Amino acid sequence: MSLHLPVLLIVLLLGASYGVPLLDRYRKNLAFPLTITSLAAVFVFSLYLIFLVGRKGPFFYHLGGWPPPWGIELYVDFLAVYMLMVLSTIGLLVMIYGATDLYHELKEEVLSWYYTLYLLLIGSMIGIALTNDLFNMFVFIEISTIASCGIISIKADRRCLEASIKYLILSALGSGCILLAVAMIYMITGNLNFDYIAAELPGALALYPYNILIALSLFIVGFGVKSALFPLHVWLPDAHSSAPSPSSAVLSGLVIKIYAIALVKLLWRVFPPQIYAAVPVLDIILFLSVLAVLVGSIFAMVQDDIKRMLAYSSIAQIGYVFMGIGLFGSRALSGGLLHIFNHAMMKSMLFMAAGLIIYATGIRNIRDLKGIGVRMPWTMGAFTVGAFSMVGIPGTSGFISKWYLALGALDLGRPFYVAVILLSSLLNGIYYFPIVIDAFFGTKVEPRSEHRDVPALMLVPVLILAAGVIFFGFFPGPLLNLIEKALAF
Amino acid sequence: METVIYNFLPIWAVMFPVFMSVIIFITGNRSEKLRNGLSVATAVVTFLSVAAMYPVIISGEIIVFTLFDILPGLGITVRVDILSFCLAAISSFVWMLVSVYSIDYMSHEHGGNRYFPIFIFTLGSTLGIFMAGDFFTLFIFFELMSLISYVLVIHEETREALRAGYKYLIMTIIGGLALFFAIILTFELAGTVSLNEGTLITVPSTLAFLAFLTFLIGFGMKAGMFPLHVWLPDAHPVAPSPASALLSGIMLKTGAYGLLRVIFHVFNVSVIKEARWDLILGVIAVITILLGSAVAITQFDLKRRLAYSSIGQMGYIILGMALLNEKALVGDVFHIFSHAIMKSTLFLAAGAIIWKTGLRNINDLHGIGKKMPVTMGAFTLAALAMIGIPPLNGFLSKWTLSLGALDAGAPYYVVVLLVSSLLNGLYYLPIIIAAFFGGEEHDEEAKIKVNEASYRMIIPVAILGIGCLAFGLMPNNIAFELSLKAASFLFGRVIP
Repeated sequence: MSLHLPVLLIVLLLGASYGVPLLDRYRKNLAFPLTITSLAAVFVFSLYLIFLVGRKGPFFYHLGGWPPPWGIELYVDFLAVYMLMVLSTIGLLVMIYGATDLYHELKEEVLSWYYTLYLLLIGSMIGIALTNDLFNMFVFIEISTIASCGIISIKADRRCLEASIKYLILSALGSGCILLAVAMIYMITGNLNFDYIAAELPGALALYPYNILIALSLFIVGFGVKSALFPLHVWLPDAHSSAPSPSSAVLSGLVIKIYAIALVKLLWRVFPPQIYAAVPVLDIILFLSVLAVLVGSIFAMVQDDIKRMLAYSSIAQIGYVFMGIGLFGSRALSGGLLHIFNHAMMKSMLFMAAGLIIYATGIRNIRDLKGIGVRMPWTMGAFTVGAFSMVGIPGTSGFISKWYLALGALDLGRPFYVAVILLSSLLNGIYYFPIVIDAFFGTKVEPRSEHRDVPALMLVPVLILAAGVIFFGFFPGPLLNLIEKALAF
Repeated sequence: METVIYNFLPIWAVMFPVFMSVIIFITGNRSEKLRNGLSVATAVVTFLSVAAMYPVIISGEIIVFTLFDILPGLGITVRVDILSFCLAAISSFVWMLVSVYSIDYMSHEHGGNRYFPIFIFTLGSTLGIFMAGDFFTLFIFFELMSLISYVLVIHEETREALRAGYKYLIMTIIGGLALFFAIILTFELAGTVSLNEGTLITVPSTLAFLAFLTFLIGFGMKAGMFPLHVWLPDAHPVAPSPASALLSGIMLKTGAYGLLRVIFHVFNVSVIKEARWDLILGVIAVITILLGSAVAITQFDLKRRLAYSSIGQMGYIILGMALLNEKALVGDVFHIFSHAIMKSTLFLAAGAIIWKTGLRNINDLHGIGKKMPVTMGAFTLAALAMIGIPPLNGFLSKWTLSLGALDAGAPYYVVVLLVSSLLNGLYYLPIIIAAFFGGEEHDEEAKIKVNEASYRMIIPVAILGIGCLAFGLMPNNIAFELSLKAASFLFGRVIP
């Protein structure tokens, strides 16, 4: 059983995603329980996998018993289980929240299709995290792209469709780049397995320098589009703001991160380090990340729509992750990876909190949110925690990832990037704090005046994540332990 | 001397108010009386538990231990030495008196249910700053206090309060980020940020200078140092008067405390002297002193004038640091005591006047001394102490500071102190004269009735006012003894 656990995770989710529409036909009321059960099972299994990997160390899994050059290989290492934990935890919590919210936001007949897409999305992301095979990765990337396109457009109003078409076109471009790069790598090395490619590439570098370079740049552009790295981010604000709130939470919290992880895997494990000395690839990533961090925040400042503001803030935050990648020191990269988890917590919480506000009052405009904190103290309390964490107030998890990134930058003798991190924190403060202030102070609002009550089931995931943000602000030890091991391959 | 002892009083003193603030919040919804009682009780217990550390501290021991680690080499640690004790003692003492004062003052205001829990929570986080064992812990509590006290600043929720609060918040974030930068630089250079390690940075390199500068920005922001003082004159007057008293009297001192720690723990006297950074401090101090006092003259809102006066007074404290000798440091620490007492007296007295009469403009205060003799009596004592009239505590701190300046061979600083005293006189004396001798001549004597604020407000004001006299009258008082000990401790520290 534990032998087949890695593939079971993916099969379970993909299988359930096919089961849901079937159930929808015959036993409508069982569609949601199936979804949540499979997500919960995946959550439990991933915890077990973390335990397993912690005890016995990383291990390979050969699909169908075919060894690598022919078969597909999954590699369960610390990085993979780290991502598994992030994906399964946030995926489960968002679905618990979505249970009620989706009834409100979607038409009843598309509800089970949403579950299908959601399960596909989580399943394919777990696939990306686990796979050790280039083409297999591409397949999962395609599945997740189509699935995310689906959960954006499912509301089927004008804005969603427009946003999803924009997303579809741009990410098809990204997929094209990735496919081309995969083809080039295959052409050069004749292999698709990461380890085999990594063994071949240093030798091939002398023979085909341009092909490898082009493959590398195609990967960076492809993953850059998909994870909304700065000049390629244009699809994100529309897509993340118009989608239903659970979709926004998952898209901003998880989907853009998984592509960054895929890039980390390629850069760190597949491409030979000599290439970074020859070509300033990392400096380009670094430069773009600095722009992302600053420009994302500046755009966020001028937004009126709260979800749009959060979406722009995601662009800035993904910039931190890429800054960690671009600095490429072990401490900086730990900071970047840690920020993946921290931002997944914060941003999905913030999106869910924004969704709660929209659910309860229908307000989306930031200026109309005055006094909302008096009416919805728990929701805005969680929002406040998220805002603090975004700014990097000590005692929240956002502080720890900033601390690591800054320390990593200093390790490499680049205090400039510390200044960038601080400046962006200030910018975060400038657009997050007024929302919090207006929500709690300045207007006299009667508590509980006309608005829909917030169901406890929607509030609980938000509060769990808020508690998580504070908990990991004080005890980041276990996470950092995992990340340090992940980077020690 | 420096022994590691496990004494849980510091944790108790920090955590008890934090914990009680939750209980006060819960009871506040049920009973106002219980809420007020609990707040005062919490403040009293906290003061007593700080005071209970006296025997340990005075015997020269230092309470040091680690609570838990957050990151390798970085954790929540506790360290109480004589300087921490000085600050913690005066803070919790003033806090206790202000909590009594707040009961009646806040009965006229809205949102007491918000005020009291925040008020008590801020006490805990302020004590946390003073008892932190490393800069990281200090930073956590510093940010906590700064952010929480935002709620005190904007309590009135008027337009101008919100605007002042926003300015305060943005400046706080900037200061916090500067501190973050400084602390991370120190961590990178020294590998630790503990206060227990002797000198952390011994070579005045470029990065070290950057660290010094950002520390100065971070802590100087809080201390109202020129040119980062801009939030102070807006934020302090708009808060409710008891909160202004704490903001000006105590919370400004957290910045001064941080700077003292930076000068004596991150760097040391010889490094600062070698790099000539004391010159930066000196210039800033002189500008801060003169600017604060000069602008105060042009203010006609009573609380605003007091706020500008705070800037000037914080300049003295920065000056004491810039002189870098033991005698100046005695005056420095003693001035922290003095200013805490003087400024809270003044703000509380101003609050009593506002509470009773609603008057804020100085020109309207004619004859107020006849109506409220006790309040204005305390105000007069504190104002005279501010000017530096001999038997009051302000005189003693100025005297010691001047001796320090002469020791340092910088008599021009004495001139600055004298000029500033003159300026202080220019803006405090007219208030006092008008209060007691002004007033409408045609009024009959019978019409002027003594009409004081409630006794729960006058008693704290009177105690603090008498404190101004008592700490000046006897040069061997406890505050001065503590300052002497603190200064000799900071200078006599064994530097490994």
